[in-house]
Amino acid sequence: MALIAAIVSIQSVLLPHVSLWGVKPDLGFVAVCLIGLFGGELEGLLVGLAVGWAMSLFSAQDVLSAATIKGAVGFIAGLAGRQVAYLSPAVLVVGLLAISCLVGLITPFALQLNAQQNWWWALWTIVLPQAALDAIIGGAVYWLISSHFRLEQWVSEYRI
Amino acid sequence: MRMVNFRLSYSARRVALALAVILVLGFLLLPGQLQTVFQTVGSPFGWIVSWPLQAVAGIHDRIADVWSQYMALQGVEEDNRQLRREMDLLQEQNAQLRESAAATERLAALLEFKKQALSTLVAAQVIGRDTGNWYKTIILNKGTSDGLQSDQGVITPAGVVGRIVKTTSSTAVVLLLTDPNNAIAGLIQRTRDEGIVEGTTHGVARLKYIPLLSTARPGDRVVTSGLVGGFPRGLAIGTISRIDKEDEALFQSAELSPEVDPNRVEEVLVILPSLFPTEGERLGAPKPKS
Repeated sequence: MALIAAIVSIQSVLLPHVSLWGVKPDLGFVAVCLIGLFGGELEGLLVGLAVGWAMSLFSAQDVLSAATIKGAVGFIAGLAGRQVAYLSPAVLVVGLLAISCLVGLITPFALQLNAQQNWWWALWTIVLPQAALDAIIGGAVYWLISSHFRLEQWVSEYRI
Repeated sequence: MRMVNFRLSYSARRVALALAVILVLGFLLLPGQLQTVFQTVGSPFGWIVSWPLQAVAGIHDRIADVWSQYMALQGVEEDNRQLRREMDLLQEQNAQLRESAAATERLAALLEFKKQALSTLVAAQVIGRDTGNWYKTIILNKGTSDGLQSDQGVITPAGVVGRIVKTTSSTAVVLLLTDPNNAIAGLIQRTRDEGIVEGTTHGVARLKYIPLLSTARPGDRVVTSGLVGGFPRGLAIGTISRIDKEDEALFQSAELSPEVDPNRVEEVLVILPSLFPTEGERLGAPKPKS
């Protein structure tokens, strides 16, 4: 709960001041991906749904699409985490970039945005910059956590 | 190793001497003409040489400037440090005073507007922005517990900001005028032509569905028409900056510069419902005679 509150607060209050080209990273997405990867499918799904719901309260995005998308991301991250024995930071960054791009390309269809906000516009102005930022932040967080904690050991013990 | 012999032969030396004498005599006897000839012959050559010359001169001047500046600066270095310290202090004080003055000005304007306008406006502060990147919204520090609901209009003394799309008990999300998913009924003040104001992906707004025969032009002000709920008639939306008229189109459209910069808004007023008559109520059907 504290994590979700912190994510929403930072996302809506602090990040708009440090956005690049008017685009800010999605901390909720990064957190859900990491929790799914290292916690499992269920944890990813539940946290994703909760984060999506909480973030939709402070956005014009409808709660259904926000919670569903974040939940699906958490679940997929959990499935992916189960298939990977060792996750290097580089693989994580590339993975986050790819998943963020995928989610970014699906979202405009889910939101049924105005005709001006077409697929091409979304790709260049939001999806790619946000995916890059998400990947950088995700990689940095992973690096910080793995340098201070025995993440691999924790994951193997936790998952078994 | 074979050495190169620069010594001219005797006959060649005689030829060279003769040419030199002729040249000197020529300058003495015909100075103007010979100078002109040499000038003419040397002109293309001079043009070619002028390029590297200018380049070298430029480099030289630059080095000289840098050197003189460096020498000049050395003497005032300490003074400069002292002045910088003082300037930093004064700038800090100035920024604090400016901030206080700006806040006072804003709040005074808000208070004055609230006094002049209908008594049921709710003042709110902007506490955040949209958590995602797909919508342009602001988050207010007032919610349903203060009487705020979806579809209520949000304004500042300068003009329209947007409308509420979501509320919690203590917060409200306002979809800005400049968001492409927002639509507000607008009216060109001078020509009285109505249309729909919609945000654009470039962060401005656009008035759509202006009749083809309209004489709207850049500089015309656009206000709310009051045809749909949320806003009374006559609130400033923006100023037309460009008219777009496409061939075979049924309507014109106009690009607007919004009156309110949504990125800088800090305090707003929310218009509560039932404060103002909608256009339908205002024009209401005539009562049947008894």
